Amino acid sequence: MNLLIKISVVTAIAAGSLLAQAKPPAPGQSPASLPPPKTVTPQTYSAEEIQAGEGRFTSQCGFCHGRDAAGGETGPDLTRSALVAQDTRGDKIGPLLKMGRPDRGMPSFELSAVDVGAIVAFIHAQKTKSDTLSGGRRAVDVTDLATGKADAGRRYFNRKGGCSGCHSATGDLAGIASRYQGLQLLQRMLYPSGQPAPALPKVSFTLPEGQTVIAPLSGQDEFTITVLDPAGARQTYSRSTVKFKIEDPMSVHFDQLGKYTDKDMHDVYAYLETLK
Amino acid sequence: MRSLASLVISSSIALFAQGVDPKDLVHPPPDSWLTYHGDYSGRRHSSLTEITPENVAQLKQVWRFQTSQNPAIKATPILVNGILYITTPDNLWAIDARTAKELWHYTHPRNDAFHIGHRGAAVYKDTVYLTTPDCHLIALNAKDGTVKWNVVIADSSKGYWSSNAPLIVGNHVLVGISGDFDNLPGQLKSIDADTGKTQWIFYTTPPPGGTEPESGGATGGQMWMTGTYDPALNLVYVGSGNPTPVLNGKVRPGDNPWTCSIIALNPDTGKLVWGFQVSPHDTHDWDASEVPVLVDADFNGEPRKLLMQASRNGYFFVLDRTNGKNLLTAPFATVNWAKGIDRSGRPIPDPAKEPARDGVLIAPNESGATNYRSPSFDPKTGLLVVSVQDGYGIYFFKPEHGAYGWAGADYGVAGKAFLRAIDYKTGKVVWNHPIGDGAGAAGVLTTETGVTFSGDVPGNVIAFRTSDGTTLWHQAIGKVGNGPITYQLDGKQYLLVGGGSSLYAFALP
Repeated sequence: MNLLIKISVVTAIAAGSLLAQAKPPAPGQSPASLPPPKTVTPQTYSAEEIQAGEGRFTSQCGFCHGRDAAGGETGPDLTRSALVAQDTRGDKIGPLLKMGRPDRGMPSFELSAVDVGAIVAFIHAQKTKSDTLSGGRRAVDVTDLATGKADAGRRYFNRKGGCSGCHSATGDLAGIASRYQGLQLLQRMLYPSGQPAPALPKVSFTLPEGQTVIAPLSGQDEFTITVLDPAGARQTYSRSTVKFKIEDPMSVHFDQLGKYTDKDMHDVYAYLETLK
Repeated sequence: MRSLASLVISSSIALFAQGVDPKDLVHPPPDSWLTYHGDYSGRRHSSLTEITPENVAQLKQVWRFQTSQNPAIKATPILVNGILYITTPDNLWAIDARTAKELWHYTHPRNDAFHIGHRGAAVYKDTVYLTTPDCHLIALNAKDGTVKWNVVIADSSKGYWSSNAPLIVGNHVLVGISGDFDNLPGQLKSIDADTGKTQWIFYTTPPPGGTEPESGGATGGQMWMTGTYDPALNLVYVGSGNPTPVLNGKVRPGDNPWTCSIIALNPDTGKLVWGFQVSPHDTHDWDASEVPVLVDADFNGEPRKLLMQASRNGYFFVLDRTNGKNLLTAPFATVNWAKGIDRSGRPIPDPAKEPARDGVLIAPNESGATNYRSPSFDPKTGLLVVSVQDGYGIYFFKPEHGAYGWAGADYGVAGKAFLRAIDYKTGKVVWNHPIGDGAGAAGVLTTETGVTFSGDVPGNVIAFRTSDGTTLWHQAIGKVGNGPITYQLDGKQYLLVGGGSSLYAFALP
């Protein structure tokens, strides 16, 4: 459970009425085809605040999140963001701007309280505007993705694709289509990322005495390797001073990207969609 | 440290006795880095020899200049007469290259254009030029940062912005702008270095109603990176960006010249002399803005004036820069979008790899096989060393996405970053050095002694052996976001490189 979900649950309990908002989408619906999450605490902003916020948003946020806050080159659509829906006058957006999300490529921002307030006003105004529109401009709907053949996907999964070497329709993937839908399911199929985060690669160290110790890899570069110790703390070693091997199942996903035809991709997606 | 004698005469005279003579730009002295690329060729290759593969591991930090600001340094510093000029969006610092002390700091008024990065300043005579996110070009006094003039180069309220390091040719300040979130014509402007007056505008996608041929209904083709220049041919070379609408190619049939192209212009008139399109009818946001590197060398046994580009679309191109004729086209990264190469050397887009309603898996991804990060050419080995990403993205387009701006959706799936050395004669990859996941941000510098400097994704500056890519030295300084430079000052060779929001100077003890 990531911090934000934890935070949202606490808020939900406090508010006593929020859990319904956090419910995952019903099977068969992609997040994009669903109506965006409803703003929990209705709030209004002056036209001046929104206008000032539009400028500040463009300048600081627009390149990644789109000038209209509906998603851009690298940042998600904020009008469909659960955090934005749960925000009240910047109580969630403000701290996030200050902290950033370094693990997902979002920098922190040094902004005055007035600027944060203006940006918050603009995001909420954009959300209100987009909630009243039918169909997001950049949305990928679950029906858009329904071009594959589940049978062919199952065959690819079990034979040519080699997916069944690591995964099982009745094991780790049982009910996968109830947990993820549409674009999110496709993205996780191609290369698992996002929340909940996929398991970390495993590092097996060979100690001088010959024993093997296995630890999750939390980071690496050409010179060092960082793992989590049993207490969950990061420990960094110089690569040249330890003997180790990294087992990274994600590298198989990366290699597979070069092997899929578009038809294979859509077929496997169609097969995963049947695993509800 | 400067001797006290300089106080006897006016310090401004001591420091600014000579500005940048335009003639110096053709043959930059070793105690300088006068332009974005170091010289007009775009090779980012230094003839300095103090730092060698044998002693590079002894490099030590001499100083560190901290901007104390949030944006990372993405600019290449300019060094003129012992003074460094470094930028971030809306900011320009002049610092003493010997002590890293700030001499002055210019701040442009707050504005609401995109603040995504800045590539650097330019200097001509005693004037420093700065482009701003809201598309001003500002001429500053090199000695104290006071404003000489300030002109608007494009209307930022329409969606233009600028991160450009200007290219100075004669008295022309060539400035490029960005803007592919809106359907805007791509333009490069020549501004009079002394007066700030516009001399000419070159359009890649001419606005409707003019006499120039139109680009199949496309807009876009912004020239947001700094070009290169051949003084003997008097040609400026610049790469142009992608067409707009970006992912919807249906409404702009044909090749959409001169988007995603390498373009040769006469700097005095702004007229097109030739163009070579590296991505005809692009639908993947693959700018051809990468540096057009100019090299005089043998090709197929004949001495040639060459131009080479490792392009964002994953293909490496060698052209005859006198006429734009293609000599070599070869992939240098993972690509799956072309059916082959046509007779003129251009990749042939595979219609099955255009963005589609149900999604298409494409290599490279949107950020490209390479991007703004400058490559470097090493003449001894004939290698172009490039910061490469092998990656995949999924691209969507349906008519509901419309025909304005992005007009579609795409998502990066995964990528791996490498420093990769390409043999210019064959296009073959000679060595390949992994530098992390995703894409790197550092440019590349090579030197005469066979050392290559660049950075990795996690945040190290690294020295490599140019011939085989072996690591020789590294230092964790934060993510390297600019192209490293080198120069000689008081007889000593320095390496300058940005890590996070600091600029670091290294030298041998």
